[in-house]
Amino acid sequence: MADKDMEILNDRDMGVGEDVIGDRPRRYQRRRPRNVVPDYVDWKDIDFLRNFVPERGKILPRRISGISAKDQRRIAKAIKRARSMAMLPFVLD
Amino acid sequence: MANRTYEVMYIINPETPADTIVKLNDAVGKLVEKEGGTVVRMDDIGPKRLAYPIQKKTEGYYVLFEIDGSGQEIAELERRMRVNDMIMRYITVRVDEDRKSADKKRDKREKRAEKRASFRPAPEQQAAMVSDARVDN
Repeated sequence: MADKDMEILNDRDMGVGEDVIGDRPRRYQRRRPRNVVPDYVDWKDIDFLRNFVPERGKILPRRISGISAKDQRRIAKAIKRARSMAMLPFVLD
Repeated sequence: MANRTYEVMYIINPETPADTIVKLNDAVGKLVEKEGGTVVRMDDIGPKRLAYPIQKKTEGYYVLFEIDGSGQEIAELERRMRVNDMIMRYITVRVDEDRKSADKKRDKREKRAEKRASFRPAPEQQAAMVSDARVDN
């Protein structure tokens, strides 16, 4: 289940460098990774879920990962379940 | 009631002796059977580092059960787990619905792929079409 072919976490795909343009609001290049979310999101599959949990421990927002709203809900739920079983952190600093 | 599938995971205090853990897991299996459920899978994951301390402990012994049943045995199991002080944390997740929708999605995708494959002409046919067009001109 651990899909190793997702590479949404490298800098370019994160849209880093496009965050602040002068004083204007942030601009994000929308990314559309394809086929990165499996049909069944397993809350025990920590290696996969880690792709959506950057260093701080927060859930990666959809505008950056580019996944669908439905998938985001499923992944958020899985992450929260994994958190409650101490498989993923709530916060890391 | 319709059959449901649950995943039950719990974290045991890592200081519990090994034979007590085995006994506890057996007891869980027996309880489930007694209440009319079946244990589909029992996975003794073992000691793992916790992402954050629970009851001042940094490690925990993980056990995962997959249970088929009506939900009654889950209620009883949860009641027991709540009062058991060896069990530091537990979670129950109902998985049958999500799995079913995942299967459905996969079937749909496969069917569509099949349809597309049958619609697209085979490579040699395509070549023939191209040469036909040349003849017309």
